[in-house]
Amino acid sequence: MVILNRLDGEQNEAVSAMNERGKAGTRRRRRGKLKKLWIPLAFLLPALGLYAVFFVYPFLFSLSLSFQKWNLISPDKEFVGLANYIHLLHDDVFWISLRNSALYVLMTVPLAVGIGLAMALLVESMWKGKRLYRLVFFLPVVSSIGVISIVWGLMYNPQVGAVNALLASFGIQGPNWINDPAMALWALAIVGIWKGFGYNMVLYISGLKSIDRSLYEAAAIDGAGRRGQFRHVTLPLLSPVTFFILVMSIISSFQVFATIQIITRGGPNNSTNVLVYQIYQEAFQFFNIGAAAASSTLLLVIVGTLTIVQLRLSQKMVHYQ
Amino acid sequence: MQRTLRLMEEGGKHLLLVAIALVTLIPILWMLVTSVKAPQEVFSGHLFWAAHFNLDGYLRVFRDIPFALWAWNSSFIAALQTLGQLVVGLAAAFAFAHYRFPGRDALFFFVLMTMMIPPQVTMVPVYMIVNEMHLLNTFGGVIVPHLASGYAIFLLRQTFMTIPRELGDAAVIDGCTAFGTMWHVYLRLSGTVMSALAVILFVGNWNDYHWPLLVLAEKSMQTLPVAFVQFREEESLEWVPTMAVATLSMLPILALYLAAQKQFIEGFMNSGLKG
Repeated sequence: MVILNRLDGEQNEAVSAMNERGKAGTRRRRRGKLKKLWIPLAFLLPALGLYAVFFVYPFLFSLSLSFQKWNLISPDKEFVGLANYIHLLHDDVFWISLRNSALYVLMTVPLAVGIGLAMALLVESMWKGKRLYRLVFFLPVVSSIGVISIVWGLMYNPQVGAVNALLASFGIQGPNWINDPAMALWALAIVGIWKGFGYNMVLYISGLKSIDRSLYEAAAIDGAGRRGQFRHVTLPLLSPVTFFILVMSIISSFQVFATIQIITRGGPNNSTNVLVYQIYQEAFQFFNIGAAAASSTLLLVIVGTLTIVQLRLSQKMVHYQ
Repeated sequence: MQRTLRLMEEGGKHLLLVAIALVTLIPILWMLVTSVKAPQEVFSGHLFWAAHFNLDGYLRVFRDIPFALWAWNSSFIAALQTLGQLVVGLAAAFAFAHYRFPGRDALFFFVLMTMMIPPQVTMVPVYMIVNEMHLLNTFGGVIVPHLASGYAIFLLRQTFMTIPRELGDAAVIDGCTAFGTMWHVYLRLSGTVMSALAVILFVGNWNDYHWPLLVLAEKSMQTLPVAFVQFREEESLEWVPTMAVATLSMLPILALYLAAQKQFIEGFMNSGLKG
């Protein structure tokens, strides 16, 4: 990852700087440094305090809740060991929601990334109108997900919604979308792609801009055509951006919530129930806090594993200029 | 000959891009057109043309729907939250960029990690903490848990790293306090990034849905998207006024986006890739 590599570099720099200072360092100077330590810590205090109360503590709390039985209201919590996890593993809805989460990621991420890349290449290759196209394609990114979900919900109305009316004008009979268990998840994935590809496009454009022009000239001299230049210069040099986009898209696709809560409520027949929505239902509809916490832990394990796997893979696949 | 060919290629690509742009805009265009249709036209008329143009939907919004209250709640929460995130982020980013101290890189890595973890993982306990603090159904309950923004800290720190250390050191030698250095050197020199960040954070906060939905059960306190979704369900609001509310809800953010598009897109471009 770009950020992490950069961090490594800085760390080495910092370490060597510290070693140098250490050689000449006296006790007095060290005490002075300790005193100075308070200044950066004071500036960090608000952020660290907030993280402690609203991130670290809840994190540990959630972990401990996953071993307890509790209904959010009653004063008593009961330690139940692994019962919540076992309950989840025997719960069909949990498995369905896990499968749907994975499916949703597989539906949205490749298309949102692919379309984002295609649009970046297309828009950047234009002489005129770059800014206008960029503006339009980025518009869905800034739209409010709550409001736009209502609009999309109506768009998918099988009889009078815009989607099927448009398809009908091309002579295609549209499916039942959100009422059809086989299509409902696709319907939500389309909203996800629509809202997400512009962000990827903008990141790709900034990636394209950072590629050194002279590399293309060198490739051209070596006899590479437009396609060869794309394959051997553009794509490899976009790999750090691609990696960043993939990590972020997968994480955010796992977090999809508003479209589901507003458009389908997880239905029909749990066909759009995803992990995050299942956590929400367990906690705030069934008041089964332990199960929700256990599910949260599993969500973390899944997202964490995926991110680590990607980090590993990226070391082989990502090329830096 | 070559020139004509390239012009034709450019023209073809314009056609393609305009077509894709129109497809992308379908939901927004449809929302706009439907909001000014006559009720009988909604289910039978032309998809993108209001033959009986009328503003009844909008009149209903102002007569029957507490839209102004929702918009005020959203604006107030988003503005205060943005301000807080900027202040907390500025201080933390300054500490990360200007000082060397043991554990600095580990702490910064921790900040990055907080961005990677889905907020739903900690949502239930955070809800309980907010409840313990008696902040449920208050604006504070929405704002306070999100004041430490990993995104703000990260973006500002990356920007501050590009400011030569000598400038900061010179300020200290000239007798500037640490706070003064942060204020007069780092903040002064990163105005563009600060404003881009402010717009990005504001839009994100305004659009946030999941957390305000949990914290604000009381109707008079709810943010626009949350209140709108509930109101529509409870009152089974018809399509025309629904689209009118949707259009009005998009307007402030749309205006902000169009006004600040340059900072906005460049701010996003900087995230994660530069530095």
